[in-house]
Amino acid sequence: MTTLEVIAPLERPITGLQPDVLPLLEMRDVTKRYGGFVALNKMNFFVGPNEVVGLLGDNGAGKSTLVKMMSGINPPTSGQIYANGKPVHFNCRADSEAAGIETIYQDIALVDSMSITRNIFLGREMTNTWGFMDHDAMTAKAIEILGSAVQISGIDDPNKEVGFLSGGQKQAVAIARAVHFKRNILLLDEPTSALSVRETEHLLAYVRDLKAQGTSSVLVTHNLYHAFQVCDRFVVMSHGTKVYEARKEDTSIEEVTYHVIRT
Amino acid sequence: MATAQSDHIRQAIDLRNSRPRSSKAIDWIRTKPEGGITVLFATVLICVIAAALAFPGFRFLSEANIAVTLKAIAPLGIMALGVGVLMIAGEFDLSVGSLYSFCAIVTATLTAQWGGDVNAEGASAVAPFLAMIVGLAIGTAAGALHAVVTLRFNIPSFITTLGAMLMWRGATLLYHGANSLRYKPSEPFATVFGGSVGVVHASMIWFLLLAVAFYFLLHHHKIGNHFYAVGGNRNAAVAIGINPARTKIIAFAIAGCMAALAGIVAGVRVSSIQPGGGAGLELVAIAACVIGGHALMGGRGSILGIVLGTALMFTIQDVLLLVRAPGFYFEMFVGGLIVIAVIMNMAIRRKS
Repeated sequence: MTTLEVIAPLERPITGLQPDVLPLLEMRDVTKRYGGFVALNKMNFFVGPNEVVGLLGDNGAGKSTLVKMMSGINPPTSGQIYANGKPVHFNCRADSEAAGIETIYQDIALVDSMSITRNIFLGREMTNTWGFMDHDAMTAKAIEILGSAVQISGIDDPNKEVGFLSGGQKQAVAIARAVHFKRNILLLDEPTSALSVRETEHLLAYVRDLKAQGTSSVLVTHNLYHAFQVCDRFVVMSHGTKVYEARKEDTSIEEVTYHVIRT
Repeated sequence: MATAQSDHIRQAIDLRNSRPRSSKAIDWIRTKPEGGITVLFATVLICVIAAALAFPGFRFLSEANIAVTLKAIAPLGIMALGVGVLMIAGEFDLSVGSLYSFCAIVTATLTAQWGGDVNAEGASAVAPFLAMIVGLAIGTAAGALHAVVTLRFNIPSFITTLGAMLMWRGATLLYHGANSLRYKPSEPFATVFGGSVGVVHASMIWFLLLAVAFYFLLHHHKIGNHFYAVGGNRNAAVAIGINPARTKIIAFAIAGCMAALAGIVAGVRVSSIQPGGGAGLELVAIAACVIGGHALMGGRGSILGIVLGTALMFTIQDVLLLVRAPGFYFEMFVGGLIVIAVIMNMAIRRKS
């Protein structure tokens, strides 16, 4: 009797690094399916305390899916998410907000027909016990927010409708909003796409400042030079899974570029 | 440090606030959707009043005419408040006209059954109120039902409520038949909803009170803020943590409740209810909102716009009646007005 030789694909070796301290947020084997399409395939990802992670990869690699999952608006099909080592379920935005996560979305997530102030406080209105909004307090706070964080060029009226702003100004408002409310982790999904060079420099410097103050960030970008300016660790994705991961000191911009374009 | 960086914003705001009142008013007209309608309404009103003073035969300012106009505005205005809120949240309800009839018929029938008719022996004072609560509850529940069907099956509310419009119209005939129904509730209900203070009919007072309540709900309460957000950019609202389903269910329920109330108020005014009386009102209510600066796609609009849009339509209707123009002129005028109002709003938006 002869034994059949089974030719099966090998278990894929686990790519990447293991966290050496308890991560703020960790995702283990998360999978996201849309019908038959697998957008994320057993992805492992973590964000440690006091670090900036660069999430890289070509279009359609699953970066935005992962970011939306971390911000709670896109629950995983399977897999487990841990916040500070405790298993959590991210089913809606409120869950990720409870974990201290703020997101700057690629598609900006502002309501054009509403004022800057109302956009900044949307879903987090300052209200009295009856739910009525305190417009004066929100406007005062909005003025402060607009002045700090990212210096937003040319905005001098917090009651202006967002629809009247330029693309860069809109992005700046979205950034200012997330920066103001962030607690543990700031997710930046292509934050610099509509920003001027000066505004981009300002934002990257701000991400470094945040790290110094103890807020971790995840920076999704196509621009490896921006990533190399601020990130401590790089994760390269392709076809919904991680293909490369390295710390900044162990790699070079050429090597990361190679892994982004290889797949 | 943070405060110093914001100084240029504060200075700009102070500068704007210190400008003369007139330039602030011009700014308001240019940037707010209700600004244009305010100008239009004021212009029409001034012209009509001037004409009334110049030609004594044109009885616009007579007490009887003012009383009749104010009476006529209220039912449609109340309905338009609900429709407008729903439009801001980005949905339509075409069935409000049918609900207007259905809820009023149910209320009138129950009022009579529970001994609330003014001529009934030992007429009950509470029965009309209880019947009204049932009517409003049906309207609210129907609105919520439209929302649940729309959201659960993810279909356009235009379709859901087009079906609901026919369904409630049929239900009215099934429940009552095609005859008109007498509706003479006992006191104090009759005075509360059908009395008047001078030339101002009770229904107008209710409309204004509701408009003030809706103003605070829409412009100052956080649920109003969420209506604008969900209607303006649904994805952004989700991303920021607003539950769009819950928000839209509330908006639909408000529209249904207001339609029921409008039907009851209109029934009290004329002491009878026509089963087909609400047909076509849904489009007139939407027209009033659009004239008042509401965006068809949601996210834009104001209570002042709804009130002025309704008032402008009825002022024009009244003027046409006074000059004895045949009824079709009203429809022609309103048709033209809708298009002109939207063109004006777009022009204003582009300029600013």
